[in-house]
Amino acid sequence: MADIALTNVSKSFGEVRVIDDLSLSVAAGEFVVFLGPSGSGKSTLLRMIAGLETIDSGTLTIGGRQCQALAPGQRNVAMVFQNYALYPHMTVRDNMAFGLKNIHMASDEIARRVNEAARILEMEALLDRRPSQLSGGQRQRVAIGRAIVKEPAAFLFDEPLSNLDAALRVRTRVELAELHQRIRSTMIYVTHDQTEAMTLADRIVVLNNCRIEQIGTPMEVYSNPASRFVAGFIGSPAMNFLKVELSGNDEAKLARLGDGSKVDMNIRVPASGSYELGIRPEAVRVSERADTTSGKATVVEHLGDRTLVYMQLADGTPIIAQDGGRSQVSPGDVVNVSFDTSELHLFDADGKTYHADRQDA
Amino acid sequence: MTADAARRANLVGALITIFTVICAVVWCFPLYWGVISSLKPEDEVVRPYIELWPETPTLRHYVFALTETQIGTWYINSIVTAVGVTILTVSSSMFAGYAISQLRFPGRRPLWWLILASFMVPTQVLIINHFVLMANMGLLNTWAGIILPQLIHPVAIIVYKQFFDQVPSDFREAAVMDNASELAILFKVYVPMNWGVTTALSIVTFIWAWNAFLWPFLAVTKTEMMTITVGITQVWDAFGVYYARQLTAATLAGLPVALVYLLFQRRVTQAITLSAGIKG
Repeated sequence: MADIALTNVSKSFGEVRVIDDLSLSVAAGEFVVFLGPSGSGKSTLLRMIAGLETIDSGTLTIGGRQCQALAPGQRNVAMVFQNYALYPHMTVRDNMAFGLKNIHMASDEIARRVNEAARILEMEALLDRRPSQLSGGQRQRVAIGRAIVKEPAAFLFDEPLSNLDAALRVRTRVELAELHQRIRSTMIYVTHDQTEAMTLADRIVVLNNCRIEQIGTPMEVYSNPASRFVAGFIGSPAMNFLKVELSGNDEAKLARLGDGSKVDMNIRVPASGSYELGIRPEAVRVSERADTTSGKATVVEHLGDRTLVYMQLADGTPIIAQDGGRSQVSPGDVVNVSFDTSELHLFDADGKTYHADRQDA
Repeated sequence: MTADAARRANLVGALITIFTVICAVVWCFPLYWGVISSLKPEDEVVRPYIELWPETPTLRHYVFALTETQIGTWYINSIVTAVGVTILTVSSSMFAGYAISQLRFPGRRPLWWLILASFMVPTQVLIINHFVLMANMGLLNTWAGIILPQLIHPVAIIVYKQFFDQVPSDFREAAVMDNASELAILFKVYVPMNWGVTTALSIVTFIWAWNAFLWPFLAVTKTEMMTITVGITQVWDAFGVYYARQLTAATLAGLPVALVYLLFQRRVTQAITLSAGIKG
């Protein structure tokens, strides 16, 4: 395993700049997830590390060695592709051995590595089959096995679970986490699925519009989003955003919602004025009294352990609140809600973010 | 569908079937006539009326062709030149198709346009140039002289390029990550993933090369260097042309191609479809 560092890297396709002066370091043995919507540049960044895309400027080091000018095969990284890219005319064994044969490794060492990877991934019985004779999950495992046999400095995963059905995706996700625990290798994983990012990552790199919005542990990114984009992108259902007018002094501010309700803010912000208030649905609780405000329920989703209440405030602002699993709320009911003021976030027009109990993000 | 409509559809189907059978008979008859005539004595062949079956069947002409002509040598010449043309055409087209499809190098696009343009130049236009070139190189009456001008097959390059274009880029990238050289990517990934195309192109190229007449006829004047298609023209003696003998030699010349076709019928059809698709 090795550390990876990108320093001031940029990349353009013709006139279009897809990565702009980006710096990032990944510690040895760390599991880092690149998360972002389509077109955010996450796959391009991964491919730049792999060597499948050139780096226009800046440096890339893997294990302390400058790699930006090296061919992909010389960077000692292995990649698992979204569509697995298993050679259809080769058996599983040959697929896994292909890369090792290309570097003229001794055949007994190749056999040892292939058998060891097959043992780790519990696919010894599949070694003589062809990819067409395997299920989606088995192909996925072969693709990972093909990476493992190289004993690379780092593993690169490009949305590897996106072709699996929901149940298999959950199972394979757990297997990947176990694999990382077992081999403790550096892993970089690209996905647009925040559940995968939250469950697998030691650290998440949130990308948007070809730049990094935030780097942090899953809980840091969730609890203290660095931007309005991160706040809205992470979490399902998404964070509620409400337009507010802030008044009061530096120590105690009062936020007035669109429907006239007032919320005590324990957030220190430099100035009064217009802001956007962010609060996650689980911090908007259905309550007996209208502690914060009230609105009309439009849709009620019973999820078993909790109930999501989609409602509209008096001024028409949509908001999602959370209630217990056995909620009695029905569509059309007027529902009282209270905000957990320790879970508030404020976003100003310049993109600055303020969190409850914190001065600056 | 009502009963009337079904009956009408059946009738149309039957008429189409009858029409195609008639077309097949019309197309097959000359072949049948040639083979049957090769089994007739010469006086039966020249009778002024049609006899669909030989009155006195004979293998005399086959014995003559096999013992009195150089058909064995012509066969060898045909096999060597057709196999040579096939191997060289398919392998060079494979390399060219791969390079144009997968590699990025200066002049790639002009090269591709050049190949497409050469596709529109009929061989006959170039034949005098070929003759002069081969003569200057001292290659007339040699296997190399027969083979070299027949290696220009842009259609094979176009077919390969099209198929290599369709291979998802993930495979190439996976192979690049696997430290594979360009040659390894071509021969261990792309070609095995497109074996069907290689087989089909090989068969159809072999058939083209075997049937080639115009160029081998010009390139060779010595009887012992003739291919079988040119050799048939030599089956005559001091008393003139004997149709039965000519047809016997033609039947023998066509035999290997017929065998290849019967053995690899599906592949040949596929190859013809591929090249027909290109020709638009």
